[in-house]
Amino acid sequence: MATKRSTWDKIKWTWQPETKREAGDSIVRNFLLHWFPSKVTRQSLSWNYSFWLGTISAVLFLILILTGIPLMFLYVPSVERAYLSVKDLEFTVSYGWFLRGLHRISAHLMVAVVFLHLVRVFLTGAYKNGTAVNQNRPLNWVIGLLLLLLTLLLSFTGYLLPWDQLAYWAITVGTNIASSAPVVGESMRFFLLGGRTIDQNTLIRFYVLHCFFLPLGVLLLFSYHMWRVRKDGGLACVDQLSLEQKKGPVEPIKSKTYSLLGITSGRTVHVETLIVDEDQHTVTASPNLTRRLMAVTLGTVAVAALLTTLFRAPLEEAANPSVTPNPAKAPWYFLWLQELVTDTTFTIGGITINGALIGGIIVPGLLVVAAIAWVYLDKSPPAAVGVWFAKERRKQNIVFLTVVAAILIFTIIGTYLRGPYWNFYWPWQSWPTMPRQF
Amino acid sequence: MRSKKSGLDNTATPTGKPLTPDESLKEQGILSERAQPSRRKFLARLGIGATLLAIGGQTYAFIRSLVPNVLYEDPQRFKVGTIDQFGEGAKFIEDKRVFVFRQKNTFHCISAACTHLGCTVKMQRVNQPKKVVVRGREIDDQVEFACPCHGSKYYSDGTNYTGPAPRPLAHYKLELAPEDGQLVVDTAETVDQDFRLTV
Repeated sequence: MATKRSTWDKIKWTWQPETKREAGDSIVRNFLLHWFPSKVTRQSLSWNYSFWLGTISAVLFLILILTGIPLMFLYVPSVERAYLSVKDLEFTVSYGWFLRGLHRISAHLMVAVVFLHLVRVFLTGAYKNGTAVNQNRPLNWVIGLLLLLLTLLLSFTGYLLPWDQLAYWAITVGTNIASSAPVVGESMRFFLLGGRTIDQNTLIRFYVLHCFFLPLGVLLLFSYHMWRVRKDGGLACVDQLSLEQKKGPVEPIKSKTYSLLGITSGRTVHVETLIVDEDQHTVTASPNLTRRLMAVTLGTVAVAALLTTLFRAPLEEAANPSVTPNPAKAPWYFLWLQELVTDTTFTIGGITINGALIGGIIVPGLLVVAAIAWVYLDKSPPAAVGVWFAKERRKQNIVFLTVVAAILIFTIIGTYLRGPYWNFYWPWQSWPTMPRQF
Repeated sequence: MRSKKSGLDNTATPTGKPLTPDESLKEQGILSERAQPSRRKFLARLGIGATLLAIGGQTYAFIRSLVPNVLYEDPQRFKVGTIDQFGEGAKFIEDKRVFVFRQKNTFHCISAACTHLGCTVKMQRVNQPKKVVVRGREIDDQVEFACPCHGSKYYSDGTNYTGPAPRPLAHYKLELAPEDGQLVVDTAETVDQDFRLTV
């Protein structure tokens, strides 16, 4: 083995390792790949266990960063020029429409894929600890939830920026939901808007959140998310392999510990992996993992780019505070909330509670709390870890799928069955024509 | 905290049990820093405290700077025109999002911001005028307000009657400007639904 490696050698890796040693080296000695294990189980690589949804969301986030950077050079976060600079992107900047379109499509896809990732993790019971020591998968589930919330906040702050009608009224509704919180609501709205009305202060605030704070949060939490996956011994399906192995008459499962021997005493920075029968279940990460990773990356980029050329990003009229579009609809992933805040104003004993508080804060808040509490209350056996629709968790999955179905139904109602003045229309009913002004 | 007075006497403790050499050293504050009620501990705490205070102070400065002290927004009190510019009925002041109503020589002003989530309500003529009883009084409704965002509806006096709106539209104080006789709306001051400015 050559001892001198050029910089290029350190970045590239071999796609056709001749030996296992070379395969392992190409992971361990490579900066870009060092966070992967050198050997992976076939199960973790399978397409139809994880559907690679986490990887796809990471790739989408990468696309969003890469397209976001040129957009930052071309977009002007000022109320006078924001709308015009987006219009310029669409009509005068070379490939501006493609950058904006790809950014938008990737954002939509990311919301969907991150949500599907959550559904996958729940249905496979992958948030549960298996039998290995030092696992903390419930914590990683919580980190994942935070990443979902950050994804939604990124979308929300992102669609304010064009400063068109959709942007303006979405932000009106969004910040009024914040202000319906008891006690702190009004001051929270004032802080979000940077004043009493939606104006320059608001735009620059959302711009900085969108371009700096929220992506930074995603990057930090994503790193921690990945680190925990390694600490927890890889994907949850691996736990099943070691469980099966335990049943057989083989020797007891060892646990591999890499530690900084001789530098510090005691248990220190280490990665623990479940040892499964290596020859039977594992393959080298290079090229088996890297090849699939590349395929997923290319596939995601291709699909996003194709969708971008098929669906041009819309731009509504410039923001007009005196005319609310009719109907005024949030993007599809918030329509279930819009439907919820419509239906949840109640009057009990003469006191009217605004639907904004119930549908906009209490119900989503309870969903998040329930999602966090759930993983700590789930006492199903290790046999239900990393298995699709495990029979030990049937009831849990039914409850979860009911909630998911409710969200989907509300989304569908909001998207297709609501017309002017948020009235209910069947798809075959035509909407009345509305005067443009009152 | 152990008592300091044991000093060099390593044979007796409050419990009467002899000390081991190690314990004796600890007693004298030689082995363990912990046993020493020391300047060192005090300074360490002072240092940590100062660090936390500095971080806290600067975080406060960072956040406080984002709460504006001066707002460069349109004033909440503004003129909407002289009396003769208003005909009988309602007029929508578009850029201020308010309706100004005139009934003969009385005026009142209703906000166009829906009380549910703040969208701008639209005024609609009622197809056939309907008599409704609102707040114990019968009114002859020619117009009503409807919100495009979530479908709330209000009678012409601003009282909500359907949809998710939790309360009536806000009514604002109206005045006459002494200098030029224009109507002045003060959106900082909400008034009762029965408020009327008589001129």
